[in-house]
Amino acid sequence: MSVIVGVPVERPGAITSTLRRWGIRPRLRNLELLLLLLAAAALTVGWISLASQQAGRVTTGDPSVLMVYVGVLLVIHAAFVITGRRTDQVLLPVTGLLGGLSLLLMARLPQGLATQDLGSITLGLAPLQLFWLGLALAVLAVLAIVVRNDDWLRAYKYTWAAVGIGLLLLVFVLGDPTNGARLSLRIGPIAGQPSELLKVILVVFLAGYLAENRTLLARASTRLGPISVPPLPYLLPMLGMWGIALAVVIVQRDLGAALLFFSVFLTLVYVATRRRAYVILGLALFLAGATALYFLFGHVRTRVDIWLDPYVDPLGSGYQVIHALYSFGRGGILGTGLGAGLPAVSGTPGDLPAIHTDFVFAALAEELGMLGALAILALYGVIAERGLRIAVQAADDFRALLAVGLTMVIVIQAALIMGGNLKLVPLTGITLPFVSYGGSSLLANAIIVGLLLALSDRGVEPPPPPSPRRRFLSRGGSR
Amino acid sequence: MSDLLGRSDPAVVPTIGSALLRLGVALALVFTGLGLGLGYWQVVQAETLTTDPGNPLVQAAVRAAPRGRILDASGEEVAVNVRGPNGERLRSYPRPAMAPVVGYQSLIFGTSGVERAYDAELTGLKPLGPGGDMVRKFLPDPYDPSDLHLSVDVRLQEAAMAALGDQRGAVVAIEPSTGRVLALASSPTFDPNLLVDPAGGQAYLDSLRGQRASPLLERATQGLYVPGSVFKIVTAIAGLGSGAIRPDTTYATQPAEYFDGFRVEGFSIRDSPREFQTDDPLDLIEATEVSSNIYFAHVGLDTGPEAMLDWAARLGFGSPIDFDLPTAPSQVTNGDGPLFGFTDRVELANAAYGQGETLVTPLQMALVAACVANDGLLLRPTLVDRLVAESGRTRTVEPAVVRRVSSAGDAEVITQAMVTAVEGEFGQSFTGGAKVPGVTTAGKSGTAEVGDVARPHSWFIGFAPAEEPRIAIAVIVERAGTGRDVAVPMGGDLMELYLSLID
Repeated sequence: MSVIVGVPVERPGAITSTLRRWGIRPRLRNLELLLLLLAAAALTVGWISLASQQAGRVTTGDPSVLMVYVGVLLVIHAAFVITGRRTDQVLLPVTGLLGGLSLLLMARLPQGLATQDLGSITLGLAPLQLFWLGLALAVLAVLAIVVRNDDWLRAYKYTWAAVGIGLLLLVFVLGDPTNGARLSLRIGPIAGQPSELLKVILVVFLAGYLAENRTLLARASTRLGPISVPPLPYLLPMLGMWGIALAVVIVQRDLGAALLFFSVFLTLVYVATRRRAYVILGLALFLAGATALYFLFGHVRTRVDIWLDPYVDPLGSGYQVIHALYSFGRGGILGTGLGAGLPAVSGTPGDLPAIHTDFVFAALAEELGMLGALAILALYGVIAERGLRIAVQAADDFRALLAVGLTMVIVIQAALIMGGNLKLVPLTGITLPFVSYGGSSLLANAIIVGLLLALSDRGVEPPPPPSPRRRFLSRGGSR
Repeated sequence: MSDLLGRSDPAVVPTIGSALLRLGVALALVFTGLGLGLGYWQVVQAETLTTDPGNPLVQAAVRAAPRGRILDASGEEVAVNVRGPNGERLRSYPRPAMAPVVGYQSLIFGTSGVERAYDAELTGLKPLGPGGDMVRKFLPDPYDPSDLHLSVDVRLQEAAMAALGDQRGAVVAIEPSTGRVLALASSPTFDPNLLVDPAGGQAYLDSLRGQRASPLLERATQGLYVPGSVFKIVTAIAGLGSGAIRPDTTYATQPAEYFDGFRVEGFSIRDSPREFQTDDPLDLIEATEVSSNIYFAHVGLDTGPEAMLDWAARLGFGSPIDFDLPTAPSQVTNGDGPLFGFTDRVELANAAYGQGETLVTPLQMALVAACVANDGLLLRPTLVDRLVAESGRTRTVEPAVVRRVSSAGDAEVITQAMVTAVEGEFGQSFTGGAKVPGVTTAGKSGTAEVGDVARPHSWFIGFAPAEEPRIAIAVIVERAGTGRDVAVPMGGDLMELYLSLID
């Protein structure tokens, strides 16, 4: 893990002694602080660049949005220091930097893309995203600090599965169809996309199920033609997952979520059992399902056809894909600079439909160039690396599988939408974690990183403190 | 800690850690793929994407940036920018005779001609030098429009358009030693000034589309015509090149066939009546001089279908010519017969003297003449000499060799035959009208039959001076009569004018 390990604060003062009485030992997190300051510096430069581009002279513009955001990050860092858990020090700065890039982009796009009326004030895209980011980071911090016990996840896996299926059914019944996809659920003034939460719940269930049954799944086999597969009862959950993925496509018309569920599922099954047969079987099921859906459902067919050749309908269904490619081409190696991309040239707000949700990667790649886009890619690479590291160091199978699953949700999601922007895979309407606009997605991904941070806690330090307490993982809890 | 079931025999259950390593490798591959995707679109395809006409950036540049001028070979302006009645940026064309070359740039109808081929350079979206785009896009004015210097001489172009007058036809003139196109006339044409006028443009375009003479058809590059006897030069190139004939090849039966017809599978090939025919059979030069169909039918049959197609393809037949403007492919045969595309030997024999199913563009025939004039070396035809950007960057278009078609020796023989056709005792009566006074002139006339009722197409190809060619030319006037009456003197006059211009 980190080279710089936090140093326990020496000479306890009045505050620290009070904290100690509560069982809290503050400890510095120097690596996290350093990385956060680097991220803040990068975002400040970006903000000045954007404001100067928009004003035509060198200026900082109105930095309140950025200052609030950096302030939130530092407060969370301080909370981590005070509560003194030995959690990962890289995830928060990486998440923070991605969120900051998102703010830069949202501040630069036409503010009317998303609005919320609050009495006499109307909030635009950037303040709204700031609000959601703040909320998401708060959720992340609370989870990272508070979660010290995993029984509530481990013990009730079937309950969680039921909740997930319930959410799916709820969407099916009450769903709000927008853009042909039935994604959002509206309860009073609050609208949300339950499938964002569903992906977390699913990972919890799968980690529990696989940790319990992985020995059997890995060993037992019956022969099915040339490949040996486990006994049928153990295959049922797999077929169930396949069914859920199909249902998501059919019911919610959400191709991206289905792809994500299924690939996370296959990854987890492979990690738990290391059996290629599962992956092959899963891919075969996927191909069969995909082929059937292609011929049965118009929206699936359209997506695939545009992917194969967007120029068939350059002004209609292929418009987004082609214009995303123009963005990449315009960016080149160095990029145009923040605020100087295509929407500024054409002057038409929302020139690229869904630019603030589906095409954030293309927009950033245009303004930050290939170097900036590679950096974004690297940030997700770092998340993947931290997640896998947490899994390797996990205390047991459940925690390892949970860490892998949560990590893969973020990483596969990012890869699918970046690949879709780049026309490497069919474009699906999923979000780029922490960068795309949208409350549901931000909250779900914040829950994931918060849980990862909690999982990364390496417990109390080797030289035991005066009153050794087990801070985590003791059944029944000891808080 | 956790209630792991069935962990009685951990040896056979692989650890999660080992699978994580493989997962890490798989993820690294996925991310590498994404990185390569970025490189493909942002580096490899970047220029193609940023100059795509559908790109809003391109459309914005067309409106925002002043467009580069277009100038002829001597620096005369042939396309400039003016302000329209409402202050919009419009194109103006001081020399409308250049329309077949320059085309138009209209805010409503888009672009054509050179305006289309060099749109990205004229608007300045495409940097002239490599890497020019890296830094320039950071400037407040990111466009670097280029002036286009054409190889076309507007005086020759105007003379060619005037010579064609109301008739339908085309003239293509090329500098043989470089491939520079000196004139590219199509008649009738349109007035680009009327077309780009925002007020009357649509009505004018509708009237153009309604005309039976199709003024929007670029005859010089896309008109396909029966070539008649000018195609005999192609047959000679194929015959000599493939070794089927030599310059002194004669056909013993030819004098008799002049009177009785040359029968190929029941079909009788005849020559036009002429004063000159002895009992001695004609050789290649004499046959070219008197334009003997029978002689060249023999040559075509001896050369054979495969070699005929092969040598024609070397000259550019069978595929669009690599050129700044779109070109139609010329053909020796329409290719649906069993004999390498020919229906039978009759079609092959007819094609050898330019009838049959043979169809050519004027540009293709000008290239044939230029190739012979350039000692058998085919050069890529070019319309642009150089581009000069506002920033001072310059790109010069260098002559490019397409391939060697004929040996210098073969080209010399064909040159001699073409000179004899213009200046020989008997050739004079057909092609003498092309003679440039005081200059050795090479040429070949053609009278292409297009059905029994319609008058034939009048053709001429040639070059001058024969020793040191400065201009090669192809002239076709549709349904105008014999080559001798129309195209031959027109070609001669234009070559004479050009040689006087460059003196």
